[in-house]
Amino acid sequence: PARPSLTVNGLDLDYFNPKEYIIGGTTLSGSKYTDKEVIIILSKLTRGETITLPGEATANAIKNLWLQGLFDDVKLNISKIVSDTVYFDIEVVERPRLTAFEFIGVTKSQKTDIAERLQDKAGKTIINDNLYNTTKAIINKYLLDKGYFFTTIDFKSKPDTNQENSVILQVLIDKGKRVKVHEINFTGNKDFKSAKLRKFLKKTKQQAFYKVFGSGKFNKEKYEEDKVKLIAKMQENGYREAAILKDSIYRYNDKSIGIDIDLHEGPKYYFGNITWVGNAKYTTEFLEKVFGIEKGQLFSEEKLEAKLRGSANGDDVSSVYLNDGYLTFNIDPVQTKIYNDTVDIEMRIYEGPQYTNNKISVVGNTITNDRVVLRNVYTKPGEKFSKELLVRSIREIGQLGNFDESKTNPIPKPNAADGTVDIEYHVEEKPSDQVELSGGFGGGRVIGTLGLTFNNFSLRNIFNGEAYKPLPKGDGQKLSLRGQTNGKFYQSYSFSFSEPWFGGKKPVSFGLSAFTSLQSNGLSASSSDFQKIRLNGVSVSLGRKLKWPDNWFSLSHAVNLNQYVLNNYPGYLFSTGTSYNLNLTQEIARDSRNHNIFPTGGAYLKFTIQATPPYSLLNNVNYAIASDKLRYKFTEYHKWKFESQWFQTIATLGSKQLVLKAQAQFGFLGSYNNAVGQSAFERFKLGGDGMQGFDFLQGSELIAMRGYSNNSVVPLGANTTIAQSSGSPIFTKYVIELRYPVISSQQATAFLTTFAEGGNTWNKFSDYNPFNIRRSIGVGAKIFLPIFGLLGIDYGYGFDKIPGIPDANKGQFHFSIAQQIGGFN
Amino acid sequence: CKSRFEKLRLSNDVSKKYQEGIRLYNKKDYSKALILFEGLAQKYRGTAEAEDLNYYYAFTLYRLKDYTTARYKFKEFADTYPNSKYAEECRYYGAYCYYLDSPNSSLDQENTYKAIDALQLFINYYPKSERAVQAAQYIANLRDKLETKAFDNAKLYYTLGGYDVAYYRSAVVALKNTQIEFPDIKYIEEIDLLIVKSQYMYAKNSYPHRQEERFQEAIGYYNEFMEAHPDSKLVSEAKQLKEDSEAGIASARKILAKEAEEAAKYAALAKKDEKQKDTTTKKAEIKTPIK
Repeated sequence: PARPSLTVNGLDLDYFNPKEYIIGGTTLSGSKYTDKEVIIILSKLTRGETITLPGEATANAIKNLWLQGLFDDVKLNISKIVSDTVYFDIEVVERPRLTAFEFIGVTKSQKTDIAERLQDKAGKTIINDNLYNTTKAIINKYLLDKGYFFTTIDFKSKPDTNQENSVILQVLIDKGKRVKVHEINFTGNKDFKSAKLRKFLKKTKQQAFYKVFGSGKFNKEKYEEDKVKLIAKMQENGYREAAILKDSIYRYNDKSIGIDIDLHEGPKYYFGNITWVGNAKYTTEFLEKVFGIEKGQLFSEEKLEAKLRGSANGDDVSSVYLNDGYLTFNIDPVQTKIYNDTVDIEMRIYEGPQYTNNKISVVGNTITNDRVVLRNVYTKPGEKFSKELLVRSIREIGQLGNFDESKTNPIPKPNAADGTVDIEYHVEEKPSDQVELSGGFGGGRVIGTLGLTFNNFSLRNIFNGEAYKPLPKGDGQKLSLRGQTNGKFYQSYSFSFSEPWFGGKKPVSFGLSAFTSLQSNGLSASSSDFQKIRLNGVSVSLGRKLKWPDNWFSLSHAVNLNQYVLNNYPGYLFSTGTSYNLNLTQEIARDSRNHNIFPTGGAYLKFTIQATPPYSLLNNVNYAIASDKLRYKFTEYHKWKFESQWFQTIATLGSKQLVLKAQAQFGFLGSYNNAVGQSAFERFKLGGDGMQGFDFLQGSELIAMRGYSNNSVVPLGANTTIAQSSGSPIFTKYVIELRYPVISSQQATAFLTTFAEGGNTWNKFSDYNPFNIRRSIGVGAKIFLPIFGLLGIDYGYGFDKIPGIPDANKGQFHFSIAQQIGGFN
Repeated sequence: CKSRFEKLRLSNDVSKKYQEGIRLYNKKDYSKALILFEGLAQKYRGTAEAEDLNYYYAFTLYRLKDYTTARYKFKEFADTYPNSKYAEECRYYGAYCYYLDSPNSSLDQENTYKAIDALQLFINYYPKSERAVQAAQYIANLRDKLETKAFDNAKLYYTLGGYDVAYYRSAVVALKNTQIEFPDIKYIEEIDLLIVKSQYMYAKNSYPHRQEERFQEAIGYYNEFMEAHPDSKLVSEAKQLKEDSEAGIASARKILAKEAEEAAKYAALAKKDEKQKDTTTKKAEIKTPIK
């Protein structure tokens, strides 16, 4: 064969025999607008350099010039060769530069979508046929996916006056009508009815007169997904051979299309004999029990996969091994024999070595310190690898609230040589600070609120100027400040700080909080009609996670000191005086909810006891005849509370889960001494949105109950005014709620709810009857935005009248906002 | 009413914009200069002025402390104009931007590794440059940071030992990994001692029948410590741990001996009981109906 060669001006450049030349000079031809010198510099064919011909340098020169995106064509010619000196000529074809696109005929959001898809073009390329074709193709594909089948695209260019040789390209788009699906026809189906198959296509629907919403608009992307789901559904029902042989989309008329799908259905299959090979660690009997599918059951690949690998709660075969260190465990269900309608399966198991955790590290924590994450990770160096602990670690990292939960990703890196595995926890920080700034109208006055919550504060660095970005962060501490006022009538300020690992050695949380609030009728203090109530309080708490009975438990203790100063203030058991409340609170909780904002499983239980010292047993006051001042000086009571929440997924629709939440709450405020009577403070106010709003911290506990107005659920036969403003000593509340997520992304989580509630309050334990409740039902929506917290709106309808409060029940709207996750009661 | 700057920004007079950009840069009004340079960079493509413009553009970003974008621009400059008089400076500043972006040792060190690579690349390109000395110093600082991180994270497991004893065993594993990863780490003495300490604490909090073996391991680590650092200040502390371990072994043996003794006693008693009960149990057996 002839040798490849290049003959230039009678000189033969031999590819098998490259030679070195000196560049004698480079010229540029064909350019009008570009600077010649610069182009020559960019080609790197500089005079005086040595070059090998043929060689890479010439190819690179052309490549470099192409990269400029200025030319329609680039040619490199050798103009002459004089002994060992070579002269180049670069020949370019210039075209107008594209500075920007202008889209005409599409909506604003479509414009941005299209611009995004074309973003590597504007300002970086020239106008030629290639540009027209690719632009057209990209826009066509985009619109096709959106259901526009009959699109026409034209181009018009106009010079950009800002710059010479530049052009703005106008893209004239005629979308045509968005097509609907007129009919979907199936062929080849015997056992499945066409109507049933149409139902399997979740997002692609036939037009029908009764479908008012989303009546069959066609979306190509969704259609492709639907086809996969259709087959999956058929296979789930035992038709393992099911497949689409052919599908076609055709034009029905200007506005609609038809779809034909030709199916192969095949027979219905059942599981046959299942044998296990390769298992040494666990016996076949044990694995069969875990696997749970027996001979004769309907064959389903999906079920098989779930039982081998996929189940969420870890009762599949793989989890058994993966929780015991067998990281490289693999199981392959081989269909060994298929006869009639029966499939025999051989489970081929590769157990591999038992791995030990080695290096555990965190990647991606740009704000939060390593130790804050690592101390919550359950996979420890030197322990056997366990998938369960890995999953638990993800949950714990998620609960810190500083990372995007969907992006927390542990990557095990096994090292087969020594049977160890390094685990990298990949995380992504998310904004966790919350700001509440609001102005509202309440009690005929403007009320302003400013609240700040920092969820990843670092107290250590408070005097370290460099750490302020804009605040010292990274130690997982929480600091919140809140102030609310409308001037003279109402003022409230609070502060709280908490550290989850006090001292850094144990998960002992420490909390410190203080508040002061004042409510008055706005008159001057010297006036005889002056009314006010002032509350001051501090509390210190310590809490820790328990390892027994299991590690979902936690225990906490708190000491609270509150002072109430009343001056002519109506609606309480006493109207003037000072009362102190020093109490100790113990709380035991078990929280196994699997998600902070939208739990789909798990339960939350909490039992709280709060008690003050029994002053009346220690001092010598005769309470039967004591003055109010003496009687109420030291509040005494004991308070018992229990709460349980339970979450259960009852249906999975695609990636979304319909969840049932059941909740029960109970509270009891008791006294040590009948002569003293029940405490005026720390009672329960039931009804309404449960928000600490205008009556923030009035020494009572607010319990939401939808369908009734705020604080309106009072005991039968009680003085409604007192019961409404100071609360009642006993309450019970039950909620049953269905929740369905509509948005679940990093930016927002939103879900719809429908609920039924029941609850009541009582004055005496002897009246208490947990079945005698006021009932309501309703619907609502909640949205969680990282910076605002959880916002909610509910509409509830209360069935039962509250005697003495005319507007308490019937239809009620409730708005709610909770800064802390889980702030709804 | 628009300001003079706004008018200029919206105008098409590129050369005037360029002049003004440089003027603003020299006046240290970097944010305004940036606005002008950003607009000009596209328009100056393929012209002679582009080199100077890009140089100023990169430095404007650097002055504005946008190190992430700046280092990209510096690299782009050095790649586009390798023969420029500014090329060395830009390569250096590109690497230095990574250095400035390297966070505290307790955070993700991705940028630290990248900074080391970039600084090393600079040294390889310009080994004789005056800046190479500085670059080497920066690399040393960054290595230091990585060592601190490794030590802190391994030590964390020792700290957590008081909460869960299993962490002491983790500490031994993690500290040894640090030794392997950074053989000449500056904390080597502390690490070696902490290994002895962690193993000692692990043994001390174990069940008696596991203690001897685990204390022995601690003594083994003590011997390694003494071999590596015979003159260390920490020797006395290590010796104390060794003595405590030996005492621990002695006490564990004692407990086990006592347990064995008790067990023997119970066994003897049980045997005695059985003999006495023998007749009664036989009777009971007869009473039990067989199927």
